[in-house]
Amino acid sequence: MIGRLARSLPYALVGAGAVYLYVVAGQFEFHRRGANLGPDFWPKLVLVLIIATCAWEIVRIALVGVRREVAGVLQEMVEESVREHGDVAAGPEARSRPLLLLAGMALTAFYVWVIQALGFFLATAPYVALFIALGGYRRWGVNLAVSAAGTFAMMFFFMKVVYVSLPPGQGPFAQFTFWLMQLMGIR
Amino acid sequence: MDGVLAQLAAGFVAVFAPANFAALFVGLVLGLLVAVLPGLTLVMGVVLALPFTYTMDVTAAIILLTAMYVSGTYAGAWTSILFKVPGEPIDVPMLWDGYAMARKGEAAQALGWTLVAAGVGGLAAAVAMVALAQPVAKIALTFSTPEYFAIIAFGLASVVSLGGSSLANALISLFAGLLIATVGVDDTYGTHRFTFGVPILSDGIDYLVVMVGAFGLGEVFMRMEKGFKSVPLKAAGAVRTRLPALRELNATKGTFARGTLLGILIGIVPGAGATVASFLSYGIEAQYGRRRREMGSGIPEGIVAPQTAATSSVGGAMIPLITMGIPGSGATAIILGAFLLHGLQPGPQVFQSSSHIVYAVFASVFVGVIGMCLIGYFAARLLVRVLEFPEVIVSAYVVMCCILGAFAARNNITDVWLIVVFGVVGYLCERFRFPIAPLVLGSILGPLAETNFMTTMISFGNDWTVFFTRPISGTIMALTVLTLVFPVLRHLRRRRAA
Repeated sequence: MIGRLARSLPYALVGAGAVYLYVVAGQFEFHRRGANLGPDFWPKLVLVLIIATCAWEIVRIALVGVRREVAGVLQEMVEESVREHGDVAAGPEARSRPLLLLAGMALTAFYVWVIQALGFFLATAPYVALFIALGGYRRWGVNLAVSAAGTFAMMFFFMKVVYVSLPPGQGPFAQFTFWLMQLMGIR
Repeated sequence: MDGVLAQLAAGFVAVFAPANFAALFVGLVLGLLVAVLPGLTLVMGVVLALPFTYTMDVTAAIILLTAMYVSGTYAGAWTSILFKVPGEPIDVPMLWDGYAMARKGEAAQALGWTLVAAGVGGLAAAVAMVALAQPVAKIALTFSTPEYFAIIAFGLASVVSLGGSSLANALISLFAGLLIATVGVDDTYGTHRFTFGVPILSDGIDYLVVMVGAFGLGEVFMRMEKGFKSVPLKAAGAVRTRLPALRELNATKGTFARGTLLGILIGIVPGAGATVASFLSYGIEAQYGRRRREMGSGIPEGIVAPQTAATSSVGGAMIPLITMGIPGSGATAIILGAFLLHGLQPGPQVFQSSSHIVYAVFASVFVGVIGMCLIGYFAARLLVRVLEFPEVIVSAYVVMCCILGAFAARNNITDVWLIVVFGVVGYLCERFRFPIAPLVLGSILGPLAETNFMTTMISFGNDWTVFFTRPISGTIMALTVLTLVFPVLRHLRRRRAA
């Protein structure tokens, strides 16, 4: 029973979100033109389809569980083929590392948060180094070289070759970025 | 026909222009590397290359991405055959007979068969693409909005039905993509939809952000959860390619023909792509091939069937993309994005307005397939060494490219935040088995679907039955319904049989 509830949870959450958005769509402000459909029609139609699909899945899981779900053709083909050639194709199932994942997500969010203040180079090079270290790579010399040189190369390519303006940073960090840009021959 | 050949000849001239040829070469090498590198899939690679094409000429940009698409279907076989490491699902069938051949000491022969299969499949599909594109475009010119809506609906239904997940999850993913496409100011009424007072959302959510976030960052998060790894190479020094003799080729001509034809047909079906082609072709060979009983024991037919189908599906997928603006696979969805970024809408009109670009792209497929084979023959030993590259370093650069790509599109940090949000969404989708391809295709084709639907409603007095009563749109809508019902019927039949 708890298993079925857990399996229904994603659909319940998505369905609830869709219901909320349906209410929001009902509050769109516009002047109706004759009998024409308004700008709320299409999103409402899509939301109704989401709600219906979620409701169907919740009912199906409650009644018959997950084993009888209809799969896409490709999934069935892959599953069948892997069953037949299992000795060659199957690999060991990797262990889940939720803490590593959360740390990676937090690090990425922090990087985006500081990139405007520190500038592209000063934010990206440490981010790449920390990401690599977090991923379990312990050759520090290679890590630092790869992070610094790679970030420098990317900055050069985007600013000098494709003319994309990357965040320079603020205050003293901007001064550092401008010095790097001078080094690259970017005016 | 003469006109087509003349335009194709002009296309060949354009391909050999220095900028375009450089783009082709870079695209081929990148495609081969992406297929071999751990932590990168073909679609991810094409997504990551997209920002680098922003300032390129449209022809060079499309040539680069198409070249990546072509060569990306080939090099994954090397790692399957040599190291039992299929880079992505396309390469799994190549492993069954390819790795078995390698274990028998015939790795060089297996690589040779792969090369010839990719070359034959790619070139045959390129011929089919050139021959079919104009006639299909002429038919598409007669279409009105109901027909276009029906085609888009069919494309989206195929993605759902053929995808590698549960039908319900794929539908939810697709609808979420369609919903994301509605965010922003509505073109007709000027109404703010789902903007929640956030100014940047008024411009809508760029499909590029959805694509890069969900495919790129989402995949990195997924790999991070499973722990990064790198593959120790034991046999890399022995990588050699031995081409099959004419006699051997003659004995397998039926397999080549079946694989190529199937690949082209599967490629044309929106949503199917190289993976379905590869599996289906192997399955058909195992069921109807001359040496069906030996399949899996390490015979050339087990390599030729999936490889010809995988590479020839590229040419097939380009047909609906160029002639109707409907992407047939994840990679063509990104190529469609590149067209749109450069202000060019693929569709039947493109043959009138920009035929020089179209034929340059067509010609690049021919040159690209030959170039891919040459690079594969001479540089396979060098290229497979990148498999040793630590996955975590590749992933760090993938994140950097994702963020650069998002920022470069509009020079706005909010897009970068959106990338992170869609990265998490992409991870959650993978984690809970909601496929990403329908989400992305929904966000790309959503505006087109809505425009054609609303225009039809206005033109036909809100009569929705028009989609089913006009001959062409009715037929396509019937096919759409069948496409959605097919997995259900297949499921019921299998259950009954079990």
